[in-house]
Amino acid sequence: MSKILGIDLGTTNSAVAVIEGGEPKILENVEGNRTTPSIVALSKANERLVGLLAKRQSVTNPKNTIFSVKRLMGRKFSDPEVARDKEWLSYDVQAGAAGGIEVKMGDKFYSPEEISAAILSKLKADAEAKLGEKVDEAVITVPAYFDDSQRQATKNAGEIAGLKVRRIINEPTAAALAYGLNKQKNEKIVVYDFGGGTFDISVLEVGDDVVEVKSTGGDTHLGGDDFDKKIQEYLVDEYKKQEGIDISKDSLALQRLKEAAEKAKHELSTAMETEVNLPFITSDANGPKHFLIKLSRAKLESLVQEYIDHSIQLTKDTVTAAAPKGAGFKISDINEVVLVGGQTRMPAVQEAVKKLFGKDPHQGINPDEVVALGAAVQAGILQGDVKDILLLDVTPLSLSIETYGAVATPMIQKNTTVPTAKTQVFSTAADNQTSVEVHVLQGERPMAADNKTLARFILDGIPPSPRGLPQVEVTFDIDANGILNVSAKDKGTGKTQSVKIEASTNLSKEEVERFTKEAAEHAVEDAKKKELVDARNHAESTIYLAEKSMKDAGDKLPEDVKASITEKLEDLKKAKEGDDASVIQSALDALSTELQKIGQAVYNKDTAAEDNQTNTAENNQDAPNEPGSESH
Amino acid sequence: MTEEQNDNKISELDELKNALAETEKTRDEYLAGWQRAKADFVNYKKDERKHFDDAVKYGIEGIIRDMIGVLDTFDLAIKMLEKEGHMDKGIYLIRSQIEDILKKRGVEKIPVKQGDPFDPGIMEAMAEIESEQSPGTVIEEIEPGYRLYDKIVRASRVIIGKAIGIS
Repeated sequence: MSKILGIDLGTTNSAVAVIEGGEPKILENVEGNRTTPSIVALSKANERLVGLLAKRQSVTNPKNTIFSVKRLMGRKFSDPEVARDKEWLSYDVQAGAAGGIEVKMGDKFYSPEEISAAILSKLKADAEAKLGEKVDEAVITVPAYFDDSQRQATKNAGEIAGLKVRRIINEPTAAALAYGLNKQKNEKIVVYDFGGGTFDISVLEVGDDVVEVKSTGGDTHLGGDDFDKKIQEYLVDEYKKQEGIDISKDSLALQRLKEAAEKAKHELSTAMETEVNLPFITSDANGPKHFLIKLSRAKLESLVQEYIDHSIQLTKDTVTAAAPKGAGFKISDINEVVLVGGQTRMPAVQEAVKKLFGKDPHQGINPDEVVALGAAVQAGILQGDVKDILLLDVTPLSLSIETYGAVATPMIQKNTTVPTAKTQVFSTAADNQTSVEVHVLQGERPMAADNKTLARFILDGIPPSPRGLPQVEVTFDIDANGILNVSAKDKGTGKTQSVKIEASTNLSKEEVERFTKEAAEHAVEDAKKKELVDARNHAESTIYLAEKSMKDAGDKLPEDVKASITEKLEDLKKAKEGDDASVIQSALDALSTELQKIGQAVYNKDTAAEDNQTNTAENNQDAPNEPGSESH
Repeated sequence: MTEEQNDNKISELDELKNALAETEKTRDEYLAGWQRAKADFVNYKKDERKHFDDAVKYGIEGIIRDMIGVLDTFDLAIKMLEKEGHMDKGIYLIRSQIEDILKKRGVEKIPVKQGDPFDPGIMEAMAEIESEQSPGTVIEEIEPGYRLYDKIVRASRVIIGKAIGIS
C-alpha cells in the first residue's frame, strides 16, 4: 500500500510529511527545502511556475503571480473579506460562476481551487521524487474556522491535483495530534498559531480520541511579517537620525535592510543583543556610508509589544467569551497549550502565552512543521501504520545500578525505546570481596538513596582476589511489555544470579512527573553530592594505589620520599572524611604529584644499577607499566 | 459413534477451524506489520546514510550563506573604492582567497551575464527597467548567485529588461 501524504496547505508556505517507521517526518521538495511557498505564477516566458521559482519572479510579474490564494478558497465574490483582500492583492480577482471567485493569470481566469491544485501537484510530484514511489492519497489541513464550502474547495483542489483526499482535518487538531494530545481524556486545549501572515487561535476539547473545536478566533491579517516591517521601519528611522540619510528610497539598500531585519529578529530569539551590520549600504558626497545599529531583545519587544498584546487579548476572548464568539471556558480550565507558527519562536511570545495560562506551552516540534507532521500522523492512522500493537513503549525513567559510594549508575537512560538490553562489566571495591550486591534503581537522581528501589539481590561465590580484578557482568533487559530482567554473572566462575521486575515502564503520569520534577529541583545539590562522592572514590583508589606502590617499591624508596608520601597520604585520608570536595581534590592532587616520585626513585635506582653493568638495555627501560606506551 | 457425538466432534472441529483462521489472520497481520517495520528500518538506514552524507555536504550551508553576505559587501566595497580610484591589487587577492576557500567546499558562483534570458531556476528578479535589450533578459546582476554542489544557496539577483513604453 502506498503512503498517504500529510499536507499543510498554508497561506504563505506549505509542507508535506509522511509516516515512516511509525514517526512522522517532513519531506523536502526538489529544491532541497522543507517548506514550499504557496505561490503559482505564469512567467513572462509563458511558463507555469510553482513555489520558490514563482516567488523569485514575483516582484517583476505581480499581475500574474498568485499568492495567498487560500484567503479566497471557497469564498463568494460578495464576501466582505474578499472585498478587503481584493484591495491589496496584486492580481485581478473577479466574480466567477455561481457567485464564486476567479483570479487572472496570463490571459485566463482560474478558480482558487485550480491554483491550490497547482501547488498540491508540485507537492505531490516532489514527494513522489523523494519517496521513489507513486502517491495518490492525502490528508490536507485547513484552518478550524473554514466553513463547509471552504473545506469542499480544498478537497476539490486535492482531487484536481490527482490526490484522493482521505480526510480534511483542522490545523489545530493536526498540531495537537503531532504532540499526541488526542490520547488525553477530556482535556481542553488551546492552539496558538502565529504564522507569517495570519494569527489563529483555536480552542479544542478532546475525549475518547475525538477532537472537537469549541471556538476559533484570531486576526487573518496579523503575522510575523508585521514584526519584520516594524523592525525595518525602526532601522530606517534610526539611520535617518544617525546619518541624515533616508535609505527607504534606495530599493537595493532597502532589500538588504529587509533581509537584515528578519535575520536580526531570528537572532534575538536566542541572543539578547545583535548588530545590524551593513557596510557600504549607500554613499553620499563624502563617500561610502555604512549601516551599523545595535538592536537589543528589549528594544525588539518594545517595538512589537502591541502585536503580542493584541494576540493575547484575542486569545482571551476566544477562550472566555460566551458561545458562539468564544468557548465560554475559564482560562484556568485549559489543560494544554500548543504553539504553532514561526513567530512563536520569539521568547516574548512564549512568555506572554505562558503568563496568560500559567503553564508551559507545548513546544519542541518545529512550529513551522508541526501541522504537516500532525497531518501525517492522521494519515498514518488511516493507513494503519500507527497500530496500537506496534506502538513501542519507552522507559519513562532511567534504570540504574548502585555502585561504590552509593552512586546510581544509569544502565538504561530515560526515554529509551523498549525492548532493549544493556550490559556493563563491574568489579569489586575491596580486596577479597566475595560477593556483590546488585541494587536496581529507578529515577533521575545521581545518588542511589534518592531513587526508587526496584530490587536487590546478591551474587556471591566470587573467589577472593584483589579489588578491581573480578569481572561481574550486569545485564538489564527490558522486553516489549516493560518487564525488566536484571542478571549478574561472575565471568570468572560463571556463577549467575538474576531477578525479574514486572511493569518497570508502568508508572502513572503523576509519578513520572514527580520524579522528573524532583530531579530538576535537586539538580544543584545532587551535583554537589555526586562531586563529593566522586572525589572520595577517587581519593580511595589513589590511597589504595599509594599504599600498594609503597609496599611494592619497598627498600628502593628513599626515606625522605617515603615520609613525604606518608604525610600527603594522611592528609588525604583526613580530607576524605570531611565534606568538602575541593579540599579532597587538592589533597588528592598533592598526593598524586608526590606519588610520581616513587616511579622516579625506582627508575633511577634501576638505571643506576644497570648502567654499571651494560649500556644496551635501554629498550627495556621505557616505562613498562605506563598505559599507552608502545611495547618494543 | 452416536450421532450426537458426531455432531459434537463436528462443532468442535468447526470451532478449531475458526480459531485457526482467526489465528492465521492475526499472524498475517503481525507478519505484515513486522515486515513493514523491518522495511521501514532498512529504508531508514539507507536514508540515514544519505542524510549523513548530505549533512557533511550541505551542513555548511548556514555558514556559506553568511559568508556570501560578506562577499556581497566586499564586492560593494571594491566597486566603491574603484570609483574613488584608490584600489590596491591586494584587495582583489583577498577576494579571490575567499572565493578559493568556498570553491574547495563545493561553492560555485552561478555564471550570469547581461543579455541572458531570465531563468527563475537560478535567478531572482529584483526589478524591471525599460531597455532596448530584448524583454525578459538580464540587464544587470546586482548580487551574484551561489550554488553549493547542486543546491542553489542563493539565486543570482538581477534586474531584467522590459520593452519601452509598456507599463
